[in-house]
Amino acid sequence: MTESGFTIDVDQNQYLPEGGRDVSAIVTVTSAADATGFSGAGPAGGQTGSAEIIIIDCSGSMEYPHTKIAEARAATAAAIDVIRDGTWFAVIAGTNLAWPVFPADGSMAVADQGSRAAARQAVAGLRAGGGTAIGQWLGLARQTFSAYPASLRQAILLTDGKNQHETPEQLAAAISQCEGVFSCDCRGVGTDWEVSELRRISTALLGTVDIVPDPSGLAADFAAMMQTAMSKQVADVALRVWTPQSATVSFVKQVAPAVDDLTGRRTSRNPQAGDYPTGAWGPGESRDYHVGVEVTPAGIGQEMLAARVSLVASSPAGDEILGQGLIRAIWTDDEALSTKLNQRVAHYTGQAELAEAIQEGLEARKQGDEETATAKLGRAVALAHQSGNEDTAKLLAKVVDVVDVDTGTVRLKKQVEDADEMALDTRSTKTVRARK
Amino acid sequence: MTGATAEVGGTCPTCGQPIVATDSFCESCGTELAPAVASTASPGYTPECPVCSVDPSAPPGAISPDGYCESCGRKVPSGRDHAELDLGLLAGVTDRGLRHPRNEDAMALATAATPGGQVAIAVVCDGVSSSPRPDEASLAAAQTAVRVLLTSARRGDDPAESSLSAVRSAHEALTTLSSPGESPSATYVSAVVSGDAVSVCWLGDSRAYWLPAGPDGTAARLTIDDSVAEQLVARGAMGEAEAMASPQAHVITGWLGADLTEPEPHLSRFEPVGRGVVLVCSDGLWNYRPEAAGLAELALPDALSDPLGTAASLVKFALDAGGVDNITVVLIPFPPVSSAT
Repeated sequence: MTESGFTIDVDQNQYLPEGGRDVSAIVTVTSAADATGFSGAGPAGGQTGSAEIIIIDCSGSMEYPHTKIAEARAATAAAIDVIRDGTWFAVIAGTNLAWPVFPADGSMAVADQGSRAAARQAVAGLRAGGGTAIGQWLGLARQTFSAYPASLRQAILLTDGKNQHETPEQLAAAISQCEGVFSCDCRGVGTDWEVSELRRISTALLGTVDIVPDPSGLAADFAAMMQTAMSKQVADVALRVWTPQSATVSFVKQVAPAVDDLTGRRTSRNPQAGDYPTGAWGPGESRDYHVGVEVTPAGIGQEMLAARVSLVASSPAGDEILGQGLIRAIWTDDEALSTKLNQRVAHYTGQAELAEAIQEGLEARKQGDEETATAKLGRAVALAHQSGNEDTAKLLAKVVDVVDVDTGTVRLKKQVEDADEMALDTRSTKTVRARK
Repeated sequence: MTGATAEVGGTCPTCGQPIVATDSFCESCGTELAPAVASTASPGYTPECPVCSVDPSAPPGAISPDGYCESCGRKVPSGRDHAELDLGLLAGVTDRGLRHPRNEDAMALATAATPGGQVAIAVVCDGVSSSPRPDEASLAAAQTAVRVLLTSARRGDDPAESSLSAVRSAHEALTTLSSPGESPSATYVSAVVSGDAVSVCWLGDSRAYWLPAGPDGTAARLTIDDSVAEQLVARGAMGEAEAMASPQAHVITGWLGADLTEPEPHLSRFEPVGRGVVLVCSDGLWNYRPEAAGLAELALPDALSDPLGTAASLVKFALDAGGVDNITVVLIPFPPVSSAT
């Protein structure tokens, strides 16, 4: 481990044939397992440096069945219990509008035994009734966070329904205002919510999305999510990609633990460098990124630095480089070198295609285009099988009948549980790690 | 030739006190008087981007600490890409060539003024490209070995024994460079040239040749490659030209690296009968002219009086022929007598 507490490893085939332009590499970022290894800039700087908001859907549908709102209250209480002393926190309720549940004045409380008990009591009084306008909820969370100079701001959002009481444009605007202010993990309870809607929020706000089909599973899930949030110590970490003047970044994707395309999230630092957000980091975390760069070819035998990838922690004091890796290009006339496929690049290219095939296949199925759905989901079955992604293979088997895994020959099931289809959709981006 | 008498050999470059020609260290301040030299980046070398520096309108490009141009990304010469070393008694030139991204060859030279006369020492190593950090391996091996050979020569040790001990030290140096699963490796050839004999020690396919000055001598190769091609020739399976043209010609069967528990170097000793030149080189040169007679034709008679200039022209010969590999050429005129005496 380096002093910063982060290591960066680059895995690639650096050899290009004559005239070759495309350089591809897997960049692995790992944080130190011991929290004390983290450096000064960026981290929360003590627990008062982090802030948590729980956003609970209190729309009328949460009453059907009646246990749903009860389980949501219990789950919120369970999450409150794991908030560490000294952390700023608040609970927000949402319908077609949003209001502070605790503290009732819209501020944030510092967690201790007393404030946690008071929060649980406030949550116990929550009743369901009204519509769903998630943009309103996000807006109140942003406003609440903004008054506190925490370096680490994370929200947990629970809903059971579609965003029916505002336009998609209103939601999109609300999401974009929250980008960079806080991160948000989203959970959909039941099967009446929209996967693509929550994914849009969790992707933009660098969080996770998942389905909790049965309300009784909420409390354990909420507690676990809050535990993970509590482990985060470094916020606002970005991957800074430097490229030569004549080169362009083709894409930057997180590929493990899940596929997340960051290409469009670039913030230009100067003409040759841009930052891609990675969100918050806890100790012992490891993520893989697939970086593609297009370079201007040089002569045989020449070496070029195609990209320098740095992990950068930004704070008001300035930027701190936490680690760095080099992506190289060497032109060779030795075909044995230039045609060699890097195993991890190949693996993650397949995993990204797998996620895409599932999402496109499910969309086609929804549109009634059975031919496309069968082809895409069949391709997904073959890819999941080849790459050993067993979790995804199991989820696929609940949606299609597999005839032949190798060729990806499948038949669409006539009867599919909504929960199974939604679980496949939300978890389609989960990848299997490729080890060196 | 320098005798055993304690003659004054000028002054110490550090303290200015008079020194004795056969002393290895200044009696007054302890400065090493004739240290070994190696093809490291020369002091004061400032890297410059070979692409951006030729554009007069471009601002002076910054070079990153890891050796890349900050504007076009091109790897800039490390200072090892081309190096020339001249110790008078011997000289060497090493060059990246035209097709490799960096120079993974290394050379180290030394001279010792011993009571028995002058001794010239050369080590040439060629990093094994399929191993990690071959450039570091070749330089570490050459620098470590020359140090051992120089100390031994000053003591008057047997060259064969000191050659083996130099290989052992170089092997240890590569072991410290290695990590689990990673074993930087290099070929190795050393030559210790005294007034009466040439002692050669090697592993791999870097070579030493004897190139005689007069018409009476016969040019000869002093090493036998550890290579598949050489084994084919030795077994009589193929002629040399045919073997060298075979796909495995350059697959080496011996090298120096931590993946070998015990290196098994080869030794040879040769007593020249007249004047001539010992050539020590990497395959970047001999690929284009493997025969000793052919190399003698290229190097003589200039190498007898101008080893540096001739080494440079041999490197140029290899570049003109294609420069596919890194090229290193060291020339040691025999007998080793400094022009001053």
